Amino acid sequence: MIEVKDLFKNYGENQVLRGVTETIHQGEKVVVIGPSGSGKSTFLRCLNLLEQPSSGEIWFEGQNITAKGTDIDLVRRKMGMVFQHFNLFPHLTILQNIMLAPVTLKLQTKQGAEEYARELLEKISLPDKADTYPAMLSGGQKQRVAIARALAMKPDVMLFDEPTSALDPEMVGEVLSLMKELAESGMTMVVVTHEMGFAREVATRVLFMDGGNVVEQNTPQEFFSNPQHPRTKDFLAKVL
Amino acid sequence: MQFFQKFYDVMLAKGRWELIVQGLGTTILISVCAILIGTLLGCLFALMKISKSRILHGIAGVYTTVIRGIPLATQLMIFAFVVFGPLGWDKLLIAIIGFGINSGAYVTEIIRAGIEGVDIGQTEAGRSLGLNRTQTMLKIVLPQAVKAVLPTYTSEFIALIKETSVASFIAVMDLNKAGDMIRNASYNAWYPLFTVAVIYLILTFGLTKLFGMIERRLARSDRG
Repeated sequence: MIEVKDLFKNYGENQVLRGVTETIHQGEKVVVIGPSGSGKSTFLRCLNLLEQPSSGEIWFEGQNITAKGTDIDLVRRKMGMVFQHFNLFPHLTILQNIMLAPVTLKLQTKQGAEEYARELLEKISLPDKADTYPAMLSGGQKQRVAIARALAMKPDVMLFDEPTSALDPEMVGEVLSLMKELAESGMTMVVVTHEMGFAREVATRVLFMDGGNVVEQNTPQEFFSNPQHPRTKDFLAKVL
Repeated sequence: MQFFQKFYDVMLAKGRWELIVQGLGTTILISVCAILIGTLLGCLFALMKISKSRILHGIAGVYTTVIRGIPLATQLMIFAFVVFGPLGWDKLLIAIIGFGINSGAYVTEIIRAGIEGVDIGQTEAGRSLGLNRTQTMLKIVLPQAVKAVLPTYTSEFIALIKETSVASFIAVMDLNKAGDMIRNASYNAWYPLFTVAVIYLILTFGLTKLFGMIERRLARSDRG
C-alpha cells in the first residue's frame, strides 16, 4: 500500500533520514520506535508529504506521490493523520471539527457529514460533546476527537505521530484503547510511539529506527524477546 | 444658565449646528469607508507578505515601508495635489482613498502578525485532511488570526477616526474643520473646540465599548 524507496531528508547539513526503504502492506499495524532524533517522526511526516523528502520515492496505492505534478491534496484525503498536540481547530465545535474537511471538499452533504460525525462521536464515546469547543475537553478527549476527525475522511491508512506523548498518564489508556479498536477493525496503521505495551499488543510489525534508518524490524514477539542489533538491545534496555 | 446661552450663541445659532452635523457625517463616512478599503488592502498585502513569491513579498514590503514611513498629512497632500488632484476628483473621495491606502499598510502588519501567530500545527492539520492552501487559510487560519488581532484591529480603527481630522489639510469639511470654521466665525475657541473634542471622545469611547462586547462574544470558544 505504501512503498518507500531510498528516502533521504536533510535539513541543511543535518541528515535526518538516510535512505529508508520500507513497504507497508494493507491491514498492517506498523509501530515505529526509536530514540529521539532517530528520524521516526520525520519518516512518518514524509509519508503524507508534510515534510518534503530531499530524495527518494514514496508510492501510495500504486501512485508515485513524490513525482512532480501529483495532486497531494487528493492523496492526503486517503491518509489520516493524528498529531502529538492534537491540533484540533479551537474556533470550531467538536462536530464542526469533524465535519469541516468532508464538507469543504464537497465529499458529503452537510447533513450526511453531520450524521457520520455523530456516528463517529458515538464510537469514541463522546456524543454529548458535539456542540462544545475543544478548549473544554481533556487531553485524552481531544485526541479521540482528532482521531474521529481523521476518520471522517474515510482514509485507507492512519498515521499516528506520538499520539499519547502530550497526554497526562491517566489519559493515555483511553486513546490507546481507541487505537486498538481501530486496529481490530482492520485499518492500516503506522504509529510512531513510545508506548511499548501498545507495540507489543497491537503491532503486526515493529520497526526500530536509529540514526535516520531502520536498524531492525520484526514481529513484536520476536522483536522484544530476541532483539538482534546492539543498538536495539541498548534502547530496549533503557525503555523496558 | 450663562453657559447654555453662550453655548447656544456660539454653537447652535445661525445654523452652525448644521456644520457640526455635516462634519460629523463626513468624519464617519471617511472613517468607515477607509477602514473597509484598509481591511481589503490589508488582507491582500498580508497574504502577499506571507507568500513564497519574492516579487509579491517585495511589493508588499515596499507598500508598508513607504506608507508607514511618511507622515499622514504629507501623504494625504500628495494624494490630493499630485496623484489624484490633476484628475479633478472630489476632495472627499480623495480623502477616503488616501486614508484607506494609509490604513491598509497598518492593517497589513496587524493581519500578518495574526496569521503568523496561528500555530503551524493548525495548517498541518488542515493540509493533512486534504484541504488545499487556500481552504486551509480561509477555514482554519484566518478565522483564528482575525480573532487574535481583533483588539489591535479595533484600536487601528479608533486611531483612524482620530486621524481623519487631518482631512482639513486638503479642505475637506470634517468634524475638526467644522469646529474650526465655527471658531473663526464666532471668535470663540473654547466652545467649538471642546464640543468637537467631546464628540470625538464619545465616538471613540463608544466604539471601544462596542468592540469589547464583540471580543467577549468571540471568546466563547476559549473557555476551558
